[in-house]
Parts: sequence; C-alpha cells; structure tokens
Amino acid sequence: MLRRMMWVGLAALVVFGMATIAQEPVTIEFWHAMSSGHQPNLQKLVDDFVAEYPYITVTLVYQGGYGTLQGKVDAAVVAGNLPAIAQVYENWVTPIESILYPIGNFMTDEEKADILDGLVASNTYNGVLTTVPFNKSIMVLYYNKSLVATPPTTWAEFYEMAKALTVDLDGDGKIDRYGTAFRPAANPEQFLIFLEQAGGSILNADWTEVTLNNDAGQAAAQFVGSLIPYSYVTSEYMSDHIKDAAMFVDTSAGIGYNVKAATNAGFELGVATLPAGPANYNSMIQGTNLAVFDTPNLTQAQKDAAVLLARFLLRAENTVFWAEKSGYQPVTKSAYNTEEWLDYVSSHDYQVPMSEQMLNAFAQILHPNYGDMRNVLSTGFEEIMRSVVPPLEGLENMAAEIEALLE
Amino acid sequence: MGGPTLEQAPATTRTESYYVARRRAYRLFLYILMLAGCAIMLLPFFWMVTTSFKTELEAMRMPPQWIPGTWLWQNYPDALARAPFGRYFFNSFFVSILSTIGEVFTTILAAYAFAKMRFFGKGFLFALLLGTMMIPGEMLLIPNYVTLVRLNWFDHYQGLIIPWLASVFGIFLLRQFFRSLPDELWDSARIDGCRRFRYLWTVVVPLSKPAILTVALLKFLGSWNAYQWVLLMTNSQSMRTIPVGLTMFSSDIGTEYQLLMAASVVAILPILILFFFTQKQFIQGVARTGIK
Repeated sequence: MLRRMMWVGLAALVVFGMATIAQEPVTIEFWHAMSSGHQPNLQKLVDDFVAEYPYITVTLVYQGGYGTLQGKVDAAVVAGNLPAIAQVYENWVTPIESILYPIGNFMTDEEKADILDGLVASNTYNGVLTTVPFNKSIMVLYYNKSLVATPPTTWAEFYEMAKALTVDLDGDGKIDRYGTAFRPAANPEQFLIFLEQAGGSILNADWTEVTLNNDAGQAAAQFVGSLIPYSYVTSEYMSDHIKDAAMFVDTSAGIGYNVKAATNAGFELGVATLPAGPANYNSMIQGTNLAVFDTPNLTQAQKDAAVLLARFLLRAENTVFWAEKSGYQPVTKSAYNTEEWLDYVSSHDYQVPMSEQMLNAFAQILHPNYGDMRNVLSTGFEEIMRSVVPPLEGLENMAAEIEALLE
Repeated sequence: MGGPTLEQAPATTRTESYYVARRRAYRLFLYILMLAGCAIMLLPFFWMVTTSFKTELEAMRMPPQWIPGTWLWQNYPDALARAPFGRYFFNSFFVSILSTIGEVFTTILAAYAFAKMRFFGKGFLFALLLGTMMIPGEMLLIPNYVTLVRLNWFDHYQGLIIPWLASVFGIFLLRQFFRSLPDELWDSARIDGCRRFRYLWTVVVPLSKPAILTVALLKFLGSWNAYQWVLLMTNSQSMRTIPVGLTMFSSDIGTEYQLLMAASVVAILPILILFFFTQKQFIQGVARTGIK
C-alpha cells in the first residue's frame, strides 16, 4: 500500500513538474510588415492565441514594408538577434534555410495535409515542410464591367478583347484607354504567369538548366509581345491607373483599393479567373509565409511557442478571420468549407473566382538565387514591355543572365 | 563716305516714362515667374493639406480633386490613433536635438583643425575623410548594425544618436567657411594672449553663425526624417520616431492617402516652425558657403 502511494505521489509530482515546466512564462517576438489597417486584426489573432496559451507573450513588431523587413531579417541573421517568428518571402529564406526551424515536424499529418496544395511546395525544403503560409493572395483578372460583358477565358480571347478595347476616345491620335495594363518592374510575376500557362518554367525540375527560353518560354514572350500595343505600362499601383485599362492582372489583396478606384472612376469592377494559355490557367501565389528561426539567441521554449503560434494561425477559423478582414486568401482546404467562409463568399461574389484561382495556382521556386533571378525578370520584362528589346531577344537576355546565376 | 553723320542720325527720344514702364514690365515678368515657381513648389503642400481632409475615395481620385467635398477633420484623430505618435514625436525631437548638438560640436572642432591648423598629413587625412563620402550608406548598414548590436545599443537611444555625431559633409562645409576668415584675426588674438580653443569659441564660432546654423539645420532635418536606420536599430514602439509611424499607412497594395497626409501635416509642423524662425540664417549660410 505504501509503495503504491509512493508511485502515485511520484506520478503526481512528475505531472505537476511537467505542468510547471510547460507553463514557464515565455516571450516571443513576431516581426511583420502589416500596415496599420491590418494591425488590429493581427493583434486580435495574437490576443486569442495568448488567451489559449496564457504562459506565452507575443510581441508584435512592425518592421515597415516588406523591403525593410527583409533588410532587418538579413541584418539580424548576421548579428544573431533574429526573432522567434517572422513573415518572410520564400526568396528571403532560401539562402538561410539551414537556420529555419522546421515547423512541419511539429504539426500533425492532418494539419499538414490541410494546407492548400499550391502552397506546400513553396514551403517545403528537402522534403520537410519548414515554413507555413500566412498572408497569401493570388493574381486574378480585374475588368471594367461597363466595357467587358464577359471576361476572356483564353489567351486568344484576351488578345482580341485587349485589341478591341484599346481606343483613342478623343481622336487626337493618342490612345486614351488601353485594353490591358502591366507593372513589369514591380510585378514580374505577370510574366511568370504567362510562362506557367504556356507550360514553361524558369528552370528544369532539378535546377540544373535554364528552361526560360524553351518553346513554352518563347510562346509566353511572343504572347506578351503581341499585347504591347494594347498595354498600358506603369510602375505604380494599378488602382492609380484604373481608368487607363479595361482589364488587368493584379493581386487579389488589392481588391479594396481597386474597387474604390473603380467607384471613383464611375464603373463597376469585375473579377475573373485568368484566361487560359496553351497548358493551363494557373496563377501565381503572392504574399508571405511564417518562418520560425533556429538560432542560438532563441531558447527551445521560444521556438516551441513560435511553432504553436504558426499552427494556431493555420486553424480554419483563424485563416478565415484573417482573410475576411485583410483581403488575403485562406490558406487551408478546410477553411474553404467552413460555414463562415461560405457565408462570406456568398455576400462577396468576387471571392468565387479568387477561391477557384487559389486552387489552381503555383508558387515561386525555392532556388537560393531566386531573388536575383526575380530582379533579372523584373528588368527584362520591363524592357520587353517598353519595347526596348524585341520579346524573343529580351527572353534570351533574361535566360543568359539567369544562367549566370546558376553557376 | 556717303553715310549719315552722328548729327544727321534720327533722334530716338526715350523719355523717362519709357524706362519706368520697361522696368515695371520687367519686374512684373519677374514676379509672374516667381509666383509660378512658388505655385509649383507649394502645390504638393497644398495637395497634402487638402488631402488630409478628404474622404478615402476623394483622396484616390485621379485627376486629383483639389478641394475636399466635405472637410473631414476626423482624419486627424484617426491617423494619430493608428500609432503612438506622441511618443514618436518625443523621440524624434530628443534624437534630432541631441544628434544636432553633438554633430555641430564635433564638426566645429574638426573643421577648424582642417581649415586653420597645421599638422602632418592634413591634406591626406582630409582627402581620406572626403573619400568616405563615396561609400554608399547601404553598404555600411549591416556592419554598423552588427557593431551596435554587439555594443548592446540595439533598441536604445545610444544606437540612434551616437553613430551620427560626426558628419563629413558638415566638416567639409564648415571648413570652407572657416578658411574664408582672415588669419589676422588669429594673429591679433594670439598677441592678446588668447589660446586656440578660446579663439575658436569666442571669435570663429560667432563669426560663422550662418554656416553653423546651416549645418545644424541640415542635420536636424536629416535626423528628423531618418527612417531606415531607426527601423533597423529599434524594435519597441517606445523607441521609434515619426517617419516610422508614417509608413504604417502604406503597404505593397495601396496607401491610405488621407490618413498618411493627416499624419504628415502634423509631422512637418515642427520643421516648418523651425524653418520660419531660422530661414534668414539658413539662406545666408547656404549662400555664403556656396552649397546648393
């Protein structure tokens, strides 16, 4: 009897001890680049998390725009003062993948399987889900409903409509409204979408060869080239040029600004999935993921707490809340089937094509030099769209520069 | 020679009133030109102030709507509630004032040495100093960050102030001014038993007030507007400054112009007030040192 009581006492002590250890207060920093309009919603999610895990304190640290956040992460890598968790683009962390704490290793199979298929690859390093998606958006087609009765569904239709809608309204010899618009320098992803839809990619599957300028790449470049006379080219927000084009490809996250700009301009804005190319109508996913860092300045408890936060934000109710409030898209499959989201979609009809497009999407490759490759694409695409070089020559130039980045 | 002689030339009688009219026309032309220049310079300020009272839709309108339909004063409290702007203001003032005082002090000492003292390697040292201006600031950002983190100055005022207590540009500017002061002043001061340090602060500095004020004003403006360094060196809200607060209204997909402009109007007020009080010295300093 005495021995039994001793065992029970010992077990109670162990359980009590573990509970005490588990509840040791821990503070983590979450670096983000969400502007003040989004911050109350992010804070609400964090407050909910802290209510569930009262021993964890999360300090949200605003780090300016994405550019400054990236600079700060880079500097903190060198200085060794990284936060436990941060918003990151894939190309920021691919070169430092070895100091990422693999969040997927601490998630259930069910949680991992729930992440949208298009988002898994861009968060997986060496077969391990390392980062997780957070504020994701998708490129969709916006169109002026007073000019476009039915949005185009193929490249051929897109071309014909862009051509027909490019007009000189006052007869002064200058085009007053273009069929479409591009932001090549700011958004080279617009070119990558055509490349994907033509069945192409920047590199082959094992990243040993540049495939940008193969047949599919040439088809994409030629299609882009054919649109030049009917395209308004800018480096500014599309919402600032809403009247200059009848249709344009832009991020779903810009819906709020685009709709307001259209209202100002006196027309209703429509949203559609992208017109399909020869291979598919896939679109490119935008937005950042969450990374937990594995550096000596962080304790195990901090890394564990950061993983818990990342998993919490992936829960259906939380990714739906974030999507509804921010304009980004839910990132898990189960989220799209929640009653809450279905209700939201039924009262926001533009979400129907956005959700469909989100399920037909691709993400950037995780090559360590992708950031530099993106810069090449940005300059090259701009040169093509501004007719500095012919499309195929521009494609070859980009391919040669990317080739150099592989060496 | 059959040409007309001087006496025979037709008399062109230009009366006094002709010259007065010509002077007036010229002055009128100058005023119109200056008014046009003034309007071009003030237009962005006008847009900033009126936009700070617009609705979101009005602020986004293109071409711009210059006058708000209804004057939305609420933008100001809304904008200022987005971040702890009171604290940001205090930090901006604190950091800018201390950096300015510190920089002016070090700049006067260095500029005087380079302008008026003789020492071995002066020319080389000065060239070396100027050479550092060729290094892009971005290159120094991460090394400086790492250094200051290791000094434990991260997220502290030291990190925001001490690295900016010396300015090569300021030294260059003041040196040029100090060189224009006659050496006879020093000779006579020396005869009266004055030493270098006293001469510097009682003779050179008062004579160089416009140039020193220019250095101070440029420094204050630079410090007030500093963004990247402050963002890099701080994490807590309590350490950040006004420019960091202003970025909170923009993202990669759009900007809340009406709130950004409301916060910007508040942010530039101290600078405007400062400029109004010091514009005479500022312009004199710029004109005398030939800095544009």
